[in-house]
Amino acid sequence: MNQRPSNPGFPMGRRAPLSRRQLLMRAGALGAAGISLPSLLAACGSDGDGSSGTSPSGTTGGTGGGGGGNELWFDNWPEYIDLTEDGLTGTVDRFIAATGIDMRYTEAYNDNNEYFATIQPILGNGDPLDIDIMAPTGWLVGRLRTLGWLDELPLDQIPNAANLIPALQNPSWDPEGTYSLPWQSGFAGIAYNMDATGRELNSVADLFDPEFNGKIGMLTEMRDTIGLIALGEGINISELTTFAEAEPAFAKLEEAKAQGQIRRFTGNDYLNDLSTGNFAACIGWSGDVVQLAKDNPAVRFVIPEEGGTAWADAMVMPKGATNRDAAAQWMNFVYDPVQAAQITAYVQYVSPVVGVQEELEKIDPDLANDPLLFPDDETSARTYTFAQLSEPVEAEYDAAFSAITGA
Amino acid sequence: MTVTEPDRAQVGSSRSSTQRWARHPERIGLGALIAAGLLLVAVGTGLVDGPLAIAALVLVLVCIVALIMTAMVGGPEARRKLAPYGLLKPGMLWLALFYLAPLVTLLKNSLSTLPSRFAVRATFDWNFDNYVTAFTDFAPQFQRAFLYAGLATVLTILIGYPLAYVIAFRGGKYRSVLIGMVIIPFFTAFLIRTIAWQSLLADQGVITRMINWTGFGKVLDAVGIMDGEQLLNTPAAVVGGLTYNFLPFMILPIYVSLEKIDPNLVDAARDLYSTTPKAFWKVIFPLSLPGVFAGTLLTFIPAAGDFVNALYLGNPNTTMIGNSIQDQFLVQNNAPVAAAMAFVLMAIITVMVLIYSRFFGTEDLA
Repeated sequence: MNQRPSNPGFPMGRRAPLSRRQLLMRAGALGAAGISLPSLLAACGSDGDGSSGTSPSGTTGGTGGGGGGNELWFDNWPEYIDLTEDGLTGTVDRFIAATGIDMRYTEAYNDNNEYFATIQPILGNGDPLDIDIMAPTGWLVGRLRTLGWLDELPLDQIPNAANLIPALQNPSWDPEGTYSLPWQSGFAGIAYNMDATGRELNSVADLFDPEFNGKIGMLTEMRDTIGLIALGEGINISELTTFAEAEPAFAKLEEAKAQGQIRRFTGNDYLNDLSTGNFAACIGWSGDVVQLAKDNPAVRFVIPEEGGTAWADAMVMPKGATNRDAAAQWMNFVYDPVQAAQITAYVQYVSPVVGVQEELEKIDPDLANDPLLFPDDETSARTYTFAQLSEPVEAEYDAAFSAITGA
Repeated sequence: MTVTEPDRAQVGSSRSSTQRWARHPERIGLGALIAAGLLLVAVGTGLVDGPLAIAALVLVLVCIVALIMTAMVGGPEARRKLAPYGLLKPGMLWLALFYLAPLVTLLKNSLSTLPSRFAVRATFDWNFDNYVTAFTDFAPQFQRAFLYAGLATVLTILIGYPLAYVIAFRGGKYRSVLIGMVIIPFFTAFLIRTIAWQSLLADQGVITRMINWTGFGKVLDAVGIMDGEQLLNTPAAVVGGLTYNFLPFMILPIYVSLEKIDPNLVDAARDLYSTTPKAFWKVIFPLSLPGVFAGTLLTFIPAAGDFVNALYLGNPNTTMIGNSIQDQFLVQNNAPVAAAMAFVLMAIITVMVLIYSRFFGTEDLA
């Protein structure tokens, strides 16, 4: 869930899916490594500006009272919003036209752990970032909130926040819903290449089938990889509180690794390996695979019968963010179903906004009836959100996982 | 005889003091160099900050000015003695700020403890446990790093030496062109060249399918180079990637040392009834050893710390120590352990190089 296909340098359209997909095929792997450096540098540059600012956290912004100028900076994941092209106006440009706010939209968010490592020295030091809105995944929202590195959202200025779907109103990472508004959500499940498997898959156990030795991909995102394996072991991942409860999943992963079952632990470049057949099957993210499947019919995505993981990336404001009013206007804007439907049509993840399905019906009826975009009750019942772990337990999970991924 | 005694004494004393200055300008030169270097390290490591750091930088400037002043006041002799220190200064100060200071910071970091997992600063408390962790938790990665780097180095010699030999002795007028072709891959980024191998070695790629189709794949599988019908994401792919990426660093120094050899030496050996192979082993090869030695260092050291090849061409069971250090620094936020690992890697490589240079080194390089 953490790494989307990343080609910020080549924003090509969903209206030209083939060229974009081919580009992803070739540049996906490259992007994973190549993009991260410039984006790190970009983040560092902005951090430098931020820390040289005169206002330490708490003295500016703070909770409550408005503030900020006519500017806004949203740092989001790559390929995670509709762009201005092919006669359509992208959401950012529509927002700028509607409000006159000088908005800066960047795509430096490539990986939760990496991103956290870049903001940690600044926020941990009590200095503000120049970024007004960033897009961590739910579990990281929880960590940032616990560390006290987030400002509460000015929800009184965001009437459209009422459009938030009920399922995400009180997420485990932000029980009151006061620090975060979801951006998009989706599922992790099994992605596979029919040409390489020769059969349909629908069970987590298929990932451990000796027939696919050396042809299985797993994600570096602990909550999706361990989450899916644990579901396969019959563990309820929404109610994990100790390390021991998930231990069988770690043991299973370790054994598979030792036997050479796993070809690679990947970020967003799993799409490349999946499409070429290097991976017979892997753990993947719904929106990515839905898009890929359009160009390569052999690629399928399934939420396994044992269940899949559900996740959400959120919009949050780092402590001391200055442009609170503009940020509120932006969040209000994208929580309008008409605007949100445009984003959904492009990114093909699950929108957190009520009324998007009706709006999407007007744009693309096929998408409006896709259960991966608008999960029915049966789908929702089979997907689980990974429990929000307490800090010492999370440390145990992370240590065990990084020991297995072997990096 | 008109000059009085006191006058003479005065002149003498002033002259002798100038002479003292003039006699030991190198002391001033050395003192200024060391003082400026230490001050820069202090600033670079954050030992002094704020106004103190500015004061330190002013002192550095004073040291430099003092050196120049001494040279200007002193005679030609003093300038001659000061010249080495003046010329050393830019390089030494650069090293102090960009090598010594980070090294000291890294060392300090490796002996620190993070008060909590997301703490911004580690507290320095002589925590040697980081080194224990580096050894106990990451021993396999260290072993793999040196094994793969060693194999790649041997392979680069086996491939690079004959190539350099042919270019140097048989290249004729095409020598420059041929050497140019060795360098051409450098015009493409390291990362892109490595990722290109992903496509070349892909399971459904031309190379892998050809190997399997001819049945040669079974042989490669039997000797452990291929894993079943798979070439990409195996140890062989990692070693192959390292070999490919560092090959020019082996070819160029060997070529340089071969190119310097006078071909008449071979003729002389033949005149003395040597056979061609014997002439090679007795004359050419020993003379080319400095190149092999330099190439080995240029190949082995970066290869042992490399993480790109293992990342893109390897699998979870082929990770090298570079991958672990990168992960600990940037993903796990565990700078102290990462710093300890970096230091252990540096120490092992230094020891290996020292032993190697004693055993195999040549005077002009070791």
